[in-house]
Amino acid sequence: MSRIFVTGMGVISALGNSVSENREALKAGKCGITPMELIDSRFAGKLPCGEIKLSTPELARSLNAAQPGLTRTALLALHAFNQAVASAGLSPETLSYPSTVFINGTTVGGMCLTDELYHDAEAKENGSEYLAAYDYASIALYLQQKFSLSGLVNTVNTACSSSANAIMLGARLLQSGRAKRAIVGGVDCLAKFTINGFNALHILSSDICQPFDEARKGLNLGEGAAFLVLEKEEDSIDKEKLAELTGFFNTNDAYHPSSLSENGEGPFLAMQEALASANLRPADIDFINAHGTATENNDAVESKAMLRLFDSPPKFASTKSNIGHTLGAAGAIEAVFSILNLQHQELYPSLNCENGIESTGLMPVVEYTQQPLRHIMSNSFGFGGNCSSLIFSKV
Amino acid sequence: MLFIHQYACISAQDSFPEVNLDAVIAPVDGKLFAREPAYDGIPKGTLRRMSKPVRMAIGAASVLLKTSGRLDGIIGATANAGMDDCFRFLQQIIQYEEGLLTPGNFVQSTPNAMPAQVSMMTQNHGYNMTHVHLGLAFENALIDASMLVDEHPGSKYLLGTVDDISAYNYNINRLGGWYKALNSHGDFYNAGTTGSIPGEGAAMFIVSSEKSGSIAGITAAETLHTEDAALVVDRLQTFLSLHLPNEVPDLLLSGENGDQQLLPFYEGCEQLLPPGTGVLRYKHLTGEFPTANALGLWFGCYILQHQRFPAHMVKVEPGVEKLRHILIYNNFKGLQHSFILLSGS
Repeated sequence: MSRIFVTGMGVISALGNSVSENREALKAGKCGITPMELIDSRFAGKLPCGEIKLSTPELARSLNAAQPGLTRTALLALHAFNQAVASAGLSPETLSYPSTVFINGTTVGGMCLTDELYHDAEAKENGSEYLAAYDYASIALYLQQKFSLSGLVNTVNTACSSSANAIMLGARLLQSGRAKRAIVGGVDCLAKFTINGFNALHILSSDICQPFDEARKGLNLGEGAAFLVLEKEEDSIDKEKLAELTGFFNTNDAYHPSSLSENGEGPFLAMQEALASANLRPADIDFINAHGTATENNDAVESKAMLRLFDSPPKFASTKSNIGHTLGAAGAIEAVFSILNLQHQELYPSLNCENGIESTGLMPVVEYTQQPLRHIMSNSFGFGGNCSSLIFSKV
Repeated sequence: MLFIHQYACISAQDSFPEVNLDAVIAPVDGKLFAREPAYDGIPKGTLRRMSKPVRMAIGAASVLLKTSGRLDGIIGATANAGMDDCFRFLQQIIQYEEGLLTPGNFVQSTPNAMPAQVSMMTQNHGYNMTHVHLGLAFENALIDASMLVDEHPGSKYLLGTVDDISAYNYNINRLGGWYKALNSHGDFYNAGTTGSIPGEGAAMFIVSSEKSGSIAGITAAETLHTEDAALVVDRLQTFLSLHLPNEVPDLLLSGENGDQQLLPFYEGCEQLLPPGTGVLRYKHLTGEFPTANALGLWFGCYILQHQRFPAHMVKVEPGVEKLRHILIYNNFKGLQHSFILLSGS
């Protein structure tokens, strides 16, 4: 099987608009979770969210994206896509080859436009400019048309593991010979829809989230986008390689639509089989970028699964303490953060964990440290029992 | 190569559990609603909690799961499943001004509900994926399945699609000009107007790498995004020369949907094929929806297995007695195209 390398990446999150801005903020232990300002909602001014403080018109202007009907989700995706493609040095011509594939993971899609969608779905006449924008596929279709992509284009939605699965699919398309380069990742933005959904489930914290703390009270939502460019070894000989994607696995917890099984069978299997796919032993993993949503259920179950798999769990952290839970984008953004860990041989502090979960005795990394790092695992778990783990390795 | 061992679909026709395609069931109020069975295999309490798309998907999958044996995973495709719950949750948000809402609709609005439910029902910890790329959600799922059976020889998967007509997607597509009002299948292809008839349905396949015992095999599947009919024909020509180099398809199963705007794409593909190639159509039976082409594949399997098709599907009578290779061409909204090459086992 061919080795798969990451040859480019781009990200936008509450920590910054570029890979370097995100890294500087992670190093400084900065928290991008602040009271939400930009959505017309009763939660505005109050609910802590990982919000990108650029209004949708500001984003559109900065991207020279003037066409009507563009959603915030599409704009965030365009921003990260542009960066990823530039960082991999892909020309417009290369983008348009049938051998260039694109896979987007998203859970909100165009549903960020809650009020417009409601109006159009109720309307008898006079549809808005957003009629074609509500679909999950609308973002990938926008980028397909903008960049004249003629290879395979896909959108996946496995809830909060969507973009981790987009990365896996891209790697498999390369290995099957169906593509020479894959642009993979995901995007989601803050929306009335998800804010109210998670609030109704009573898993939103009214304070800044505390992943892996005994006193954690729930998650904060965030927004952002990240894309990686993946290429096979033989197609990237002369290119700078940021990391190698050495392992991945997707499984289902097969337990409950919106919570993980007590024993963490899904997370356990995802991590175990990702290791097997990379031909690695548990002891080879130097660090885990945990799913770590800061909900009661997730952090307890993920810890238990780590304790089951590892004799002594490696160092771990949740970057959701910096940017909130970006849902469909989380797997891709956390992949970028994991690659930064490897590139710079450094670990960033997990924020707001004062006392680890008593029953597990586990504490995340709480200080910035430099240390040799060879293999890093990144976990993403979603509603519907979807569990995926990726392993990135130093080049 | 991906082999199809079992197939089932719930559609607007008599396709489940018994198949009778001779009598065409016409649209009602310009919509081709699915003929849902009684779902005897699903406990009543469970059935009540399921949304319509999940019910149709699980209903169609259940009959296959009885005999499929252990599966290595579940691959789903949908564009609209969950949208009805999504809209109900939006209604709650607006009606109660973001107050105390019940989360049921929110949880059920996730489009990965079908693969998730099947994995829970069957305690399946295998591969679990949901493709949602609108008019190519199904084809992307099919390509995913093809890669999986190549990666894991001997493996077996449930590949399934579902979409429903909800108030949400009906109104949005109607405002977008994608529907016309027709209550008779007789006018379907000849009205000379734009738009099609909305439809819904679920199609389920048990697929594996094993040829033995299969009904048909998929040699190749390819997708393309373009608004240029000439490019579609170009890519089809390359596709056929690569994957069926020394033969020609006996039959084109066409996704023609009565929309005048899209006719040039379908005619372009028909004209590429040599005289004697039959052309069959199925959208007057299913209506149009993003994963309708999965029902196209269901028809392809049925035709290859039984070597028969009803007269109302025929646009051009095939020149050969024994049908071996079927080319399925579909496009969604003139942008998302797919070619699937299906051969009898």
